[in-house]
Amino acid sequence: MTALAAGGEQVAARTTAPPAPRRARRAGPIEWLLVHSVFLVVCAFFLIPFLWLLSAAFDERASAYIQWPAAPTIMNFVRIFTEHDFARVLANSVFVAVATMVLVVFAVSLAGYSLSRLDLRHKDWITYAVLLLQTMPISATMVPIYGLARQLGLRNSYLGLILIHAAIELPFLIWLMKGFFDSIPRHLEEAAWLDGRSRVRALFEIVLPLARPGLGIAAGLAFLSAWAEVLMVVILIDQDNLKTVPLAFYEAMRTQGGYTEVQYGVIAAMAVVYLLPVMVVFFGARRLMIRGLMSSTRGL
Amino acid sequence: MAIGRRRRLARNGLYVAGLSPAAFLLALFFVGPALWALASSFTNRALVGIDAANPRFVGLDNYARLFGDPDFGRVILNSVIFVIGSAIIGQFVLGLALALLLDHAQRRGFLATNLVYASVLLAWVNPTIIAGFLWVAMFDFYNGSLNTGLHQLGLGPVDWLGKGPMLAVIIANIWRGTAFTMLIFLGALRTIPSDIYEAARVDGANAFRRFWDHTLPILRPIAALTLLSVTMATFGTFILIQTLTNGGPAFQTEVIALYAFHEAFQAHAVGYGSTIAVVMLALNLSFAIVFLRWSRARA
Repeated sequence: MTALAAGGEQVAARTTAPPAPRRARRAGPIEWLLVHSVFLVVCAFFLIPFLWLLSAAFDERASAYIQWPAAPTIMNFVRIFTEHDFARVLANSVFVAVATMVLVVFAVSLAGYSLSRLDLRHKDWITYAVLLLQTMPISATMVPIYGLARQLGLRNSYLGLILIHAAIELPFLIWLMKGFFDSIPRHLEEAAWLDGRSRVRALFEIVLPLARPGLGIAAGLAFLSAWAEVLMVVILIDQDNLKTVPLAFYEAMRTQGGYTEVQYGVIAAMAVVYLLPVMVVFFGARRLMIRGLMSSTRGL
Repeated sequence: MAIGRRRRLARNGLYVAGLSPAAFLLALFFVGPALWALASSFTNRALVGIDAANPRFVGLDNYARLFGDPDFGRVILNSVIFVIGSAIIGQFVLGLALALLLDHAQRRGFLATNLVYASVLLAWVNPTIIAGFLWVAMFDFYNGSLNTGLHQLGLGPVDWLGKGPMLAVIIANIWRGTAFTMLIFLGALRTIPSDIYEAARVDGANAFRRFWDHTLPILRPIAALTLLSVTMATFGTFILIQTLTNGGPAFQTEVIALYAFHEAFQAHAVGYGSTIAVVMLALNLSFAIVFLRWSRARA
């Protein structure tokens, strides 16, 4: 959660930021050089790890050092599917992430709408309680969640994993969706009630279609979060056939006899495959996702 | 009047029903674990052995142990250093500087601006565990890109994860998290029309004056809130440090989330681990309350 305490409404009001008004006062050569040399340093810091990742993924004899592969090859990608059973791991991850997404969209559209229309004197208390939950780091509740899940029989079950992944994203998304529904005038649904539609039908036929951009953000963020989340997977899943990508990744890094023996090429190939959906979702709807993510950041 | 109230109640009833699936999940996975931790912190609950089956009530023993535990003092110190280094100095200052630079460059129409923007963002959106992996490779003593680069400059190899592990995890976390502050400040800066700067320039105001009079007033109100949310997010850091150093060597990077994890899962002392979690939640709650007060004061 963030400085955008009033962000829900902002997102609803304008999903695209207005372009900065530009007036090109020409820059002198010295200023151009200064700015671009800083740019170079910044880009180097942020991009070199990714350049290394790409170089290692396509190099069978990759080391920790960034270098152009002597013989570029896709063998690393072949090996993760033939030797590491990565296809099943991927399918598991897709299942968990998609199921989480569906559950989250269902729960937040109901909860966001209800919270928006609820007519109570101290309604803002509920909103603040939701915001307080949003700031709870899951790394603090990891130990109790493990104990609780063990007692409830939710370990090594996708049900438990999906419920937890959904719960993690709920506080922020409820609050975001409330902002969206607040911006949809009540008289639209009230007119539908007078036409004889039930409250539920009015919600599904009139209100939800208007909230589509918000539901899109909620779905995208829920998918990304479930796809990337690793803590809960590590403490809840230890059966091989239930393994998801983050767990496979976690194990590949830990079990190879210290970091000196790491098969960098293979793990880098896994990382590239793992990153692809993130890139697609994120850069496919960059503006929306940035607005959403900015308000949802939490320590992992 | 009576009818109106009844109808209001009936309508609210539906809304309460609409809230219930989410409320159930939140109760189960947020409130439940917090209460479970609180309850367990008064017991000697363990992961294995006799105490696992029948945890005994031990009163405030865990808390007494925690506050007399020299390791815990070290853990708090580590957490404070990590938060100050990576969140306050690193992400906040670097993010602010980048936002000012990019805003300026964009007003100048420099084309490379978008590339820089995207590269900062890329480090932020990738899953944490990938960030950990990338920096394990970067920091590698024998072959890592950092040491190889230093070697080519004629500098000796640095044992990043062995000798300066705190600096290493701070660098990795700055890499990962700077985009957030940058985005917030960029959003604020974009609301300043260029005309204001032009007018100030015509009036003869120098760059410092323009910054002080026009830019700073826009940034100041959100700075405190941004700082606090960055602090909260950093305080809970776990995966990044675990993949890089796992708290070591010699406890040098053991922050509070790692300590709770290690006590509960490696020392098998779930009761004690829960006590650490309770302290962590309490600290976080106090940050959060301050945060909400500030953001309400703004609104």
